[in-house]
Parts: sequence; structure tokens; C-alpha cells
Amino acid sequence: MQDRPTSVELLEAAADFVDREVVPAIEGARQFHARVVANVMRIVAREIKLEDPLVRSEVKALARLLGHDAPHLHSLDDLRAAAAGMGEELTAKIRAGEADEGARRGEVLAVVRQSVEDKLRIANPRYLESDIAIRNANKEI
Amino acid sequence: MERIEPGEMVRRLTGFIRTEGRFDSVAIENFRKMPGGASREIWSFDCAMERGGETSRRAMVLRRDPGAHNISTSRRHEFMVIRAAFEERIPVPEVFWVSEDPAVLGSAFFIMERIDGETLARRLLRDDTYARAREVMPAQLAEILAKIHRIDPVKHKLDFLAQPGDNAALSEVKRYEETFRFLALEPHPAFELAFRWLLKRVPKTPRKTLVHGDYRIGNVVFGPEGVRSILDWELAHLGDPMEDVGWMCVRAWRFGNDQKPVGGLGSREDFFHAYEKASGVAVDPEAARFWEVFGNLRWGIITISQARTHIDGFVKSVELASIGRRTAETELELLNLIE
Repeated sequence: MQDRPTSVELLEAAADFVDREVVPAIEGARQFHARVVANVMRIVAREIKLEDPLVRSEVKALARLLGHDAPHLHSLDDLRAAAAGMGEELTAKIRAGEADEGARRGEVLAVVRQSVEDKLRIANPRYLESDIAIRNANKEI
Repeated sequence: MERIEPGEMVRRLTGFIRTEGRFDSVAIENFRKMPGGASREIWSFDCAMERGGETSRRAMVLRRDPGAHNISTSRRHEFMVIRAAFEERIPVPEVFWVSEDPAVLGSAFFIMERIDGETLARRLLRDDTYARAREVMPAQLAEILAKIHRIDPVKHKLDFLAQPGDNAALSEVKRYEETFRFLALEPHPAFELAFRWLLKRVPKTPRKTLVHGDYRIGNVVFGPEGVRSILDWELAHLGDPMEDVGWMCVRAWRFGNDQKPVGGLGSREDFFHAYEKASGVAVDPEAARFWEVFGNLRWGIITISQARTHIDGFVKSVELASIGRRTAETELELLNLIE
């Protein structure tokens, strides 16, 4: 058991320092890289918070799509390995033409979209939000 | 790669230019590294060259490989393509000297004219200074692209450019699929779906021209009045000219300005129309769409490649590392395009 601040709190404190104190004090290539550093720390903070629930739901969705029983896994490492293994199985089916057309294509696209959106919830939530806003606006037209 | 300090680079560069240009003396000032350039280092400097008592001064940039790369290209070839474009009065920097001898600066490089202006696409899309540039640039970029596609590779001795085979589109898809299978560390079902979509829609390619290969607003020097210069010719090849048209429409170059698909500046229809007017060749919207999907997929594969460059230790860089987490952005756009 570690003391507070939590890993997320530490990372956010470090990222805030880089954004507020370091970025304005330097310029050029260094400034650009300092922004990248702050962004990377925020990605890691979101991953610490969100990876566990996201990979659990991904494993469930992939198992359902591929017709497997939902595996009972607890450790994050096992969950990651299960998601990667079923991801390989799914790509083999796509390459064999299973998702080229029909209802199966819709099912596959829905699960793949969910996995991609889950990656963006960690890597770039703003991009995901703006994509959803654009798609909703296009639907209204 | 040998690590050379900037002071030592200036010393070696001075000697190189003196020899190559047969000058009596050369003086380099204001030598500094430019921001950006994830795959190439850019150094800016001012050069005074003296021969027979006469001194000339030029603003110059040095473009250098930072080290070994997954996707490697030849500096000499890039140099020759830019020279051909310059001779055809396309707005490009004048190129001066090229060297692929690692003894000079540790890796291959070439030296060209420095064009003053802005290259940051975000400024183009947001700053009031560039309101006029935003208006005129889509048509300018279409006209310049039509000129690029008219460059005669035989006349300019560009015979080193890779031949695309019977179908440029099919060979490009196959080439990138091979790269993807070699580099990807995780399964990417969205990319697999995009490859399937593309293989069913390979356009017949009646034209074969020089293709810039990286034609996007991030590779344009601009001023408040519009386009000043087209940069980054390292991926030039022979192929379907619609490849450049589709690449211009890739989402990553819109920087959030998604209601304007062409570089965040304009509509596809206006861009195609301006290209048709300048080239006299009709743009098939289906072919353009094929190349737009291909472009997004290609950018996705490049993000994987850039991350691998870091992961494998060729170039350790927080920027390259972070690009690995941008792959999902292109996956989402591909799903939007092929659903």
C-alpha cells in the first residue's frame, strides 16, 4: 500500500508543472517536445484510471462476437493477453472475408469501433468527442 | 550514428561547401536546429561564400537523416526530384549540394535555399494573418499539383524512381500491407477491414505520372498571400496522380477543422474542380475516395512505423514514441469512411 498522492495524482502534478512552468519558458523544438511530454503523462494517467474496466468489457465483447464463453480472468496481464489473442483471431476472420458483407459485417464493425473508441478514451478523448459530435451533426442533416 | 556537436557540424559543413562550390572561403552564421521534423533533422543557417574577391550570401537549410529508419529513402534522389521541380518553375527551394557520405556529417544530407515563411498548419488554420491565404490556397495547391503531375521523368533523368507495375493502386496497397505486417506489434482489425475494402475497389489507372507522395499542408511554406514553396519530396515516385489528391484529404491534416476536408481549408469538390481546370484531366470521385481511404490507412501505418523507430531504438524520441498512440485516430476515421 502506497501513500497518497496516488500515481495518477503524481503524474497530473508533473504534467501541470510542464504545461504551466516549462512550456512558456522555452521555445522552438524543445517547447514542442515539452508539450508532447505533458501529453504523454496525461495519457499514462488516463490509462491507469481506465485500462482495467475498458479491457474487461473489450474481452467480453470479443468473446461474444467470436462465439466463445466469457473467460473468467482477474489479472490485468491475463485480460490483455486474452484481448490480444482474440484480436488476432478476429483479424484472421476478417482477412478470410468473413466481414466483407451482410449482418456479420455490421456486428464486426460495431465491436471494432468500440475497441478503437476505447483506445481513444485513453490516447485522445478530445478527438473522440469531436468525432462523435461530427457524426451526430451529419445524422441530423 | 556518430554524435556531432553543432560547433563541429559548422566546421565540417564549412569545409564541405568550400570544396563543393570551389569557394576561396565560406562563413556560416546563425546555425540552429529547427523544430518539427520527426523523420528528418532540419538545420537553418546563413552562408557567406567568397570566390575571387566576390562574396555572395544565401539563407540555407540542411536536411539530414537522424539515423537508420524503417522506411528509408535516398537523399540524392530527393535532391534530384526537387531540382526537376525547380526547373519546371514549380515553387520549391533551389537545391545546392547533396552528400550521402557518412564521413561528412554522420549521415546523408542535402543543402537547399531557405524559404522564409510559415509551415505550421495550425497557424494557417487559426491566425487572422492568414485569412487571405486560407481563401487562395486550395486553388493554388490544386494548380501546383497539376504541374507536378506534368513533370516528365525521362526529360529530368528520374529513372531511379520506382516503377509501379501494371496497377499503381494495387501495388501501393500491397506494399503498405507488407510494411504493416512486418511492423505491427498488435492486431489492428480496423486496418484489416480497410485493406479488404481497398482490395475490392482498386481503380483502373489510365494515367501514370510523377507523384509527390507527401502532398499535404504540413509540407507547404506559406505567407499571408498564399503558397511560397512545396517541401519534402523524399517519397516522390511514379504512380496514379490521384494518390496525391486523396492524400490531401486525409483527416490528420485538418487539425480539427473537419468541416473542410482538404487540409482544413476547403471542400473536396472545389479542390477537384480546380485540379481539373489546371490539368485538363477529370477527377473520378470514386478513385479519389479510394486514395483518401488508402491515405488514412497509410498514415496509420506510418504512425506504427514511427513508434517502432523509437521502440527498436533506432531513434529514441518522446515525439516518435507518442505517435504510436495516434494510430487509433486513423482507425476511427477509416471506420467512418468504410462503414
